[in-house]
Amino acid sequence: MNSIEAEISKMVSDILEVEVEKLTPDVDFFTDLNVDSLKAIEIVAAFEKKYRIIIPEDDIPKIRNLGQLIDYTKTIKKSDA
Amino acid sequence: MNNNKRRFVITGLGVIAPNGIGKEAFWQALKEGKSGIRKIKRFDTSQFICKLAGEVQDFKPEEFLGTKGLRDLERTSRLLCSAAKMAIDDAALNIDDNNTDYIGVCTGTTLSSLWNAAEFDKGVINDGPRFTNPSLFPGMVMNAASSQVSIRFNIQGFNTTISTGYSSSIDALKYAIDFMKLRRIKAALVGGVESLSLANYTGFYRLGFFAGINGEEISCPFDKRRNGIILSEGAAVVMVEDEEFATERGARIYAHVNGIGNCFDAFKMGKYPPEAVGLKESIRDAMKNSGLAVSDIDYISASANSVVAQDKLETKVIKNVYGRYAYNIPVSSIKSMIGETFSAGGLFQIAASIGSMYKGFIPPTVNYEYRDDDCDLDYVANKSRITRIRNVLINNYGPGGSNAAFILSKWN
Repeated sequence: MNSIEAEISKMVSDILEVEVEKLTPDVDFFTDLNVDSLKAIEIVAAFEKKYRIIIPEDDIPKIRNLGQLIDYTKTIKKSDA
Repeated sequence: MNNNKRRFVITGLGVIAPNGIGKEAFWQALKEGKSGIRKIKRFDTSQFICKLAGEVQDFKPEEFLGTKGLRDLERTSRLLCSAAKMAIDDAALNIDDNNTDYIGVCTGTTLSSLWNAAEFDKGVINDGPRFTNPSLFPGMVMNAASSQVSIRFNIQGFNTTISTGYSSSIDALKYAIDFMKLRRIKAALVGGVESLSLANYTGFYRLGFFAGINGEEISCPFDKRRNGIILSEGAAVVMVEDEEFATERGARIYAHVNGIGNCFDAFKMGKYPPEAVGLKESIRDAMKNSGLAVSDIDYISASANSVVAQDKLETKVIKNVYGRYAYNIPVSSIKSMIGETFSAGGLFQIAASIGSMYKGFIPPTVNYEYRDDDCDLDYVANKSRITRIRNVLINNYGPGGSNAAFILSKWN
């Protein structure tokens, strides 16, 4: 796990009160971790604040697990480059 | 007293006070005259002349609520939910799908959402509106803490927040009892909560309400040196039940609500009406509703908060209502030990008075040294008094125009 992945895992684990070890890349936020809409917004907001980007509304429902959130970072990094 | 009328009883109690967490610790502190007023740790006070508050410093919410979900609760909700948990456990009331619709929550609070509002606004200004933390927003509303109690303990009968400043606690109690009288509910958690924050501290400070701005920084109700309040925080919650419901389930009963009066007498912004008519009428109504005689009142738990006008007017009103007999009734203010908890004040007075009944003592007015000719009643100075207590008059009032008085009577 690189440093960005570790940072995001820590951020999500703090918000969801789930230990980092249990937060595997493919565990589903909604079905496996009972994330409600408010928590989802909190994750999005924390992510946006950290990376100073706005995730387009249409992209939000596509992010359902940690792996997808980390992948999303990579797309931003690429588009930034 | 008319024994045919329905009675409403208190069966559970939860307290988080600056001088004690849990009913036993709180009662013991009051009995010993132990103060919870100390130097503020939560925020930097270097810009203020005043340094003291009734700050709850050793509160660990996880001891009452566990760690799960704690992150979603701001300080006010943590205080209120923890006190509510204690009250539910103390009442031994099992809340389930069969009774949840008959149980309600009514909370007195006025200033408590200021912290969230201030933090949210700070985020908007510092990070910009697109990057501010949305999770602070739900806690910005006045009824956030009360709602968290319903959510956490699955209480669905009703949920109301009363924000009438100094009299919020007893107004909340009256509201819950009115619901019971209408037979809409059988039990209610009635709470009072305020939390200390830089925002509310600065507000009171800038308005010049604090002790220490024009005199000694001390909470000394009825004493000649009094010159303002010491702001404070905490939560107190009681379980109130319809007597029938409580006895059916075999609940242990502490006391019954024997009469409540409340009266609004707004005068001028931040000023007391010269004769405190509202408080007078509230006490008269409470006495009338209780059917008790003047000599039945064993103790008066005063609203006196070390403000020159407040303590003087309360003394005057007590003398006006009780006549010469006023000199025979012990009067004390626990605000000398816990400070001004504002909306939660009345609930702390109820919690203290239940202790008085069961432990057989009157809490003292501490820091009482210099007599003021305008305040000449028996204030139980500095040391608690061992005595039997059956009926307590609890007063709640302030300069906002809201007044309430309430008589608590020992169960049987």
